[in-house]
Amino acid sequence: MEQFESLLTCCVCLDRYRNPKLLPCQHSFCMEPCMDGLVDYVRRQVKCPECRAEHRIPYQGVQGFPTNVTLQRFLELHAQIAGELPDPTAGQVMERCNVCSEKAYCAPCAHCEKKVCEDCKSAHMEVLRREITRINNQIRRGVNRLQDILVIVERNTSNLQTNCGAVAGEVDEIHKRLSKALKDRTDFLRNEIDRYLATELRNLTHLKDNLELELSNIQSNCDLADKYMNDDVEWEDTELVDTKEIFLKTVEFLRNFDYEGGDYNRRIRFIMTHDPNQLVMHVASYGELNISNPAHSSSYATSLQPSQGLTRSKSDHRLATQFRQQEETKSYYDNDEPILGGRKFGERRPPPPERHTRDYGVTDDYSGYESEHRPSRRFRSRFVRSHQQDNDSDTEQATRSVKSEHKEKEKEKVTDTEDVTRGPLSVQPTHQPPRRPPPARQQSEDDEITRLKRQNKGAATSQEPDRPAPRAAEEERSSITRKPPTPAREASSDGESDESLGTLQRNQRKSAATAPKPVNTTRRPSATETPTAHRVAARAASTESSASTESSGSAVKHTGNERTTPATTNGTVGGAQRVQSRFVGSQRPTPAPAPAEPAQEDSDTSSEEETDSSEESEEEPAPQRKPESQAMARSDIGPLLARSNNARNDAQDNKTKDPPAQPRYRTRPQPAEEETPRYGSSSSSYSNRYGSKPKDEEPTSSLDDDSKYPTARSRYLALKERRNRLARSKSSHSGFGAAEDDDQDEPVSPTTASPSAYLAARYGSGTGGSELSRSRSSHALKSRESSPERPVAGEKDGAALSSWARYLKSKYGSRGKDRDTSGSSSSASRRLSLGLPLRSANELASSDDDSKNAAGSPISPTAATAAVAGFAAAGSSPRSQYLQKRRLQFSLGSRGSEPGYFTWPRGIAVGPDNTMVVADSSNHRVQVFDSNGIFVKEFGQYGSAEGEFDCLAGVAVNRIGQYIIADRYNHRIQVFDPAGRFLRSFGSQGTGDGKFNYPWGITTDALGFIYVCDKENHRVQVFQSDGTFVGKFGSFGSKLGQLEHPHYIAVSNTNRVLVSDSNNHRIQVFDVNGRVLSSFGEEGSEDGQFKFPRGVAVDDQGYIVVADSGNNRIQIFHPDGGFLRAFGSWGSSDGYKFFEVIYNFKHTDPILR
Amino acid sequence: MAALPRRIIKETQRLMQEPVPGISAVPSETNARYFHVLVTGPEDSPFEGGLFKLELFLPEDYPMSAPKVRFITKIYHPNIDRLGRICLDILKDKWSPALQIRTVLLSIQALLSAPNPDDPLANDVAELWKVNESEAIRNAKEWTRRYAMLN
Repeated sequence: MEQFESLLTCCVCLDRYRNPKLLPCQHSFCMEPCMDGLVDYVRRQVKCPECRAEHRIPYQGVQGFPTNVTLQRFLELHAQIAGELPDPTAGQVMERCNVCSEKAYCAPCAHCEKKVCEDCKSAHMEVLRREITRINNQIRRGVNRLQDILVIVERNTSNLQTNCGAVAGEVDEIHKRLSKALKDRTDFLRNEIDRYLATELRNLTHLKDNLELELSNIQSNCDLADKYMNDDVEWEDTELVDTKEIFLKTVEFLRNFDYEGGDYNRRIRFIMTHDPNQLVMHVASYGELNISNPAHSSSYATSLQPSQGLTRSKSDHRLATQFRQQEETKSYYDNDEPILGGRKFGERRPPPPERHTRDYGVTDDYSGYESEHRPSRRFRSRFVRSHQQDNDSDTEQATRSVKSEHKEKEKEKVTDTEDVTRGPLSVQPTHQPPRRPPPARQQSEDDEITRLKRQNKGAATSQEPDRPAPRAAEEERSSITRKPPTPAREASSDGESDESLGTLQRNQRKSAATAPKPVNTTRRPSATETPTAHRVAARAASTESSASTESSGSAVKHTGNERTTPATTNGTVGGAQRVQSRFVGSQRPTPAPAPAEPAQEDSDTSSEEETDSSEESEEEPAPQRKPESQAMARSDIGPLLARSNNARNDAQDNKTKDPPAQPRYRTRPQPAEEETPRYGSSSSSYSNRYGSKPKDEEPTSSLDDDSKYPTARSRYLALKERRNRLARSKSSHSGFGAAEDDDQDEPVSPTTASPSAYLAARYGSGTGGSELSRSRSSHALKSRESSPERPVAGEKDGAALSSWARYLKSKYGSRGKDRDTSGSSSSASRRLSLGLPLRSANELASSDDDSKNAAGSPISPTAATAAVAGFAAAGSSPRSQYLQKRRLQFSLGSRGSEPGYFTWPRGIAVGPDNTMVVADSSNHRVQVFDSNGIFVKEFGQYGSAEGEFDCLAGVAVNRIGQYIIADRYNHRIQVFDPAGRFLRSFGSQGTGDGKFNYPWGITTDALGFIYVCDKENHRVQVFQSDGTFVGKFGSFGSKLGQLEHPHYIAVSNTNRVLVSDSNNHRIQVFDVNGRVLSSFGEEGSEDGQFKFPRGVAVDDQGYIVVADSGNNRIQIFHPDGGFLRAFGSWGSSDGYKFFEVIYNFKHTDPILR
Repeated sequence: MAALPRRIIKETQRLMQEPVPGISAVPSETNARYFHVLVTGPEDSPFEGGLFKLELFLPEDYPMSAPKVRFITKIYHPNIDRLGRICLDILKDKWSPALQIRTVLLSIQALLSAPNPDDPLANDVAELWKVNESEAIRNAKEWTRRYAMLN
């Protein structure tokens, strides 16, 4: 046995053989380290320790020697017989430690994902310990915030108590006063009665006495007469005459005496000066508790927040999120009801203060969301979070804008803090578009309420009570309408004047509010009616979109219907029908014949609104909404709608050349009349609104979505669903359908029905002012439009403008009208109607809100602004711009390692300040150039430490200017601050979540989420800006949704994620949740085909630029994937040598990769 | 210094547990790579009866390179010089990782019984060994008795 054992022992290590290798001399040795140690590297020989025979080493090294399988079997057998425990190092292979390069038994280190030796591992653990300490410190810092909040909550608690105490005292006081007044009055009345009784009694008694006396006198007279008036008695003539007179008088007296009293009539009556019932009611409801105190609400929110924040934080423990969560939680608290629907109906509280409303809205959204999504895993939860955040941000935005006057500061603070903590993430609302809307609505409602209150305090009471009912907004509206419609308008106008933004918001709110209402008939119907509308809606907010689509599709018709035969729709039924009629009407070419008047009214209202502000004009679109007061409310409903409507109208007017459109506007003049009819139909109108809104609601606030964010996708989805319903609009849609194609959902019917109209629109849009105002619309058009040419001009303008457009609109609302009339705006309107642009605009706006940058295009606010300016200047020639893109602007660098030179530049990105950031891969550094290509700075060097790179690939710059770099061979992502200082890194080699295998392309979206092409893992991973893993999608394969070596990635501002699925020779489009939306391209060299596409970029309008590396060219695609243009060929002369080219369309700078 | 390779530990254990007749090797208390070695002179050799003291050191890359071995006890042998250095092929170019301390010491023991004057290290000794083997053997015995039998 011993000998047997010795046979199993390597004579070099005197240990059991481990991976015995057989030399040609038939002697066996362990491969490592024994055989390894025998190698004579100089002569590439190995000398057998046993026989000293020298053997040439195979090409692959000693592992090229055959394994002594027999010996290995013996080893296994022996192990079985002897029952030995397996050698702990059995199966392990000596490796070079990936850190210190020493040969040793290495174990994987969880920290660096490398196999490292014990020593290095312990060092890494030390690093981890330190990091944990650091994070712990951060947490401690964060805890302070909680403590602060705690303090605030406590303060709020005491405030609440004092406040309630004061109110209770007030109530008591009132009660005292009322009871005293009542008692006094009662006493007074009683005394009066007594006095009256006494007097009358006395009078009657007196009368009675007199009568009795008279009676007795007369009777005695009669007796005397009977007695003496006979012959027995002699009378003198004079006596007789006198007697006769007396008796005649007596007769006369008797005849004439008439007691007026008859039955006793002089009753005293108790007359209430007020209807007792009313009085009782008044008294019974002599006071209400209005919980509108902002401070209160805020305190509330804050108080609520903490607990919830904590609970939430547990799930994903981020301080930053907590903030939002808190807010959410507040809202949560407020609303018991989980979902939007609940919210809508359920806004039960007393008319909440503005804040409250916000909160509510927010909470509802969140709650709905959360309830829906929470169950899901982390991934989802994160997203949910983000959604929530988004919602919050949205709401915040809306609220801000609305309240900007009131509470901007606070909100901003909040946001700021969030930003700080989270960095870019804080602001990320994007993905859950549908849900946001509700908050907006609520807010809008609240705002409206508040306004109304202010304006009509008297009215307020009625409103307030109503509020408790779910639809405060509606009530408000109704109340407004009833009471002083004008005031409402005024208020709206005031609001508008005060803040264009505010108006916008209002409109949005209004729209939102309207939307929420259950009725929704209008919208829905429209949606159902017009599939196209769906599309449109999808782009724009649902409602708006639908409207827009309708308008666009049947813009002419619309105009015709609304304007020329506005009556038809409008006339048919009061408000409700109107609403429908508009939306529907647009869709339906021949709406019901109906009273033109109503339509006119609508138009009037709309026009009025328009006059009030551009925003209002937007509102107009939803004529249904209002009667004037309603108009206000409606305007609330839908800024979006309004926009879309305006857009439509404008577009229609312009495009269709509808003179009629103008008439509309002009017809506005008699608001009062309009109002009245509306009022009359107000109920119906309301219903209409609501009905129309329902659509919105369904989407969960399509309006909100539209207005706020753009998460067009979600909308889209919702819209899609609706589409089916909306069969109607197809006809109208067909033209516009193409534009919508982008969404992919809808078939693009390419060509616009009325190209000429489009062109006109474009051109029209080209003019600066209109463009700005309508930029959104233009956007939509562009994106939608299948024809490349158009898109260029309009799109750019629109895109650039989008964020601004709102602003401008709000400011120069009147312009819109002008445009409408002029027709130049038609394009814009169309676009709006198309609804595409709205999203982007919304997004931008939202981002702006988040970032507080007015210009905030997600990527680079400044850029956006610059772009805007540029566009404005060059607006007239948009069309050609895309085609001109291929012109080389300039090229940078050449091979080398000095600053400004590159060795295999790979990723490129554009920073917020228009700098170009290039991943100089084989120089292991990042270089930054200004927009003119002048070298600015560089950072990074070769290595694996912090701030060092190993063949970095992708670069991205997030909204706050941080550089995010895919450190390819180090399998990690590094984040640098705008100065190029290392901030953090995350990821390591592996296949698990948050691990990478050669990460390549990287990008961020408006919310700061980081998307990484994990190339060798054939997937895309999504992280929060702090590196927290959020999700992943894609797996190896060539089916839809699968990836093979994804190289680069881009996110459009409609939140579509484009991935260059390089080895599948295609571009795939996902939504932010990783669902594949579409893909295009196949292997080949024709237009629209690829060979190993690499770089991919998307511009504001959704145009997709693909670096077709195998074909040495750049291709440009429509947002729907339709081929637009290709340029470039192999060579180095023109700067296209590297074909991972990305255009920055905003700036029209082509960037080479 | 890095941890002691398993092979050295194993060799040491085996030397202690199964000592080779006529040879003892004990690691130094302060350095596990340094061995105090005692070798008895082989029978039928001029060194019979002698107890020779050697030192053995295992270099860093042992077993890939040969151990360093040196006679501390003076010995009259053509392949061992006055400083105790040993001329033995397996300690030089013929070293093989398959060899061990035990085999090295056995080889040295064998060298004592079979001097090889044709490959001398101590030239004078080798010369005498070749010219007058009997006298050389006598000298060897003398030296053995004088230096290797004191204790």
